Amino acid sequence: MRYRRAWIALLIVAILTPLGIVAAGGAWGEWGIDGIKERVGFVPAGMRSATGAGKRPLQDYTVPGLERGFFHGGPGTIVAALLGAGVTAAAAIALTRIAKHGDIS
Amino acid sequence: MHIPDGYLSPRSAGALWVVSAPLWALSLRAIRRRVDRRRVPLVALLSAFSFLVMMFNIPLPGGTTAHAVGAVLVAILVGPWAALTSVTLALAVQALLFGDGGVLALGANSFNMAFVMPFAGYGAFRLLRGAARPGDGWFAFAAGAGGYVGINAAALLAAVELGLQPVLHHLPDGTPLYCPFPLAVTIPAMTIPHLTVAGAAEAILTGGVVAFLGRHHAELFETGEGQTR
Repeated sequence: MRYRRAWIALLIVAILTPLGIVAAGGAWGEWGIDGIKERVGFVPAGMRSATGAGKRPLQDYTVPGLERGFFHGGPGTIVAALLGAGVTAAAAIALTRIAKHGDIS
Repeated sequence: MHIPDGYLSPRSAGALWVVSAPLWALSLRAIRRRVDRRRVPLVALLSAFSFLVMMFNIPLPGGTTAHAVGAVLVAILVGPWAALTSVTLALAVQALLFGDGGVLALGANSFNMAFVMPFAGYGAFRLLRGAARPGDGWFAFAAGAGGYVGINAAALLAAVELGLQPVLHHLPDGTPLYCPFPLAVTIPAMTIPHLTVAGAAEAILTGGVVAFLGRHHAELFETGEGQTR
């Protein structure tokens, strides 16, 4: 396998991701409806409809059944990291192959 | 820096999709023409790398967090055009599976973190690098400086996109319809953490990995040059 050692390094990085998720608070400007209301006092009308679009399958890098509480959600974060990195890499391989051999010119 | 859905008006988010889509096509064309087939796994590896790097949130004073992106390192290794596809895929998976960054906002987030960041950072790296070779201290320093420039360009752009919303979209009485924070708030809120903590993290990450690879795998840079231009 090409770049074998680099893939192993990434695996180690994935196992370390719970360290990154522990940091308190989210990024500035990435609050949900409640966070906006808390800071601004009201929820802008356009925001309410757009953010109500619903949750994603593994919202906020949590895996159903492996949420907080169980080692602070650490195992769930690692599963999310491995799954996300794997899907990303697989999509990249598929897309670059299509780009190289397909009809995208 | 991942703009969620609801912060940008559908018109602003849509406009940035319209800007980003042809850039994605150019990126795929650059991969088709200029990335060697043996380096395809490297594009995928770096895509996964960028995904993971963005999971490491660094706590900031004031109760928020920031993270590095890795896009400039990707650009130095496979060229900025291939970096655009590589980082966009990480952003797409974050938006679709994990709700990190909006789906409507993916055009904007890709433009900021997958287009402007690698191009600005790679440009700065090329300007600074001079005649330095992989393995030289200066080569790694230039890479780190490129990382710093790139993440700050992206953060500033995100701040401008957010801060223009109350100007562009408000009720007749001035009540904002989307992101309620004006430029005077978004610019310092986004740039100060990235000029300091996140910029330093990006510089250390980019410079550190380039220093290591320059010393042990200098061949990675040789095929990356010229080929991906």
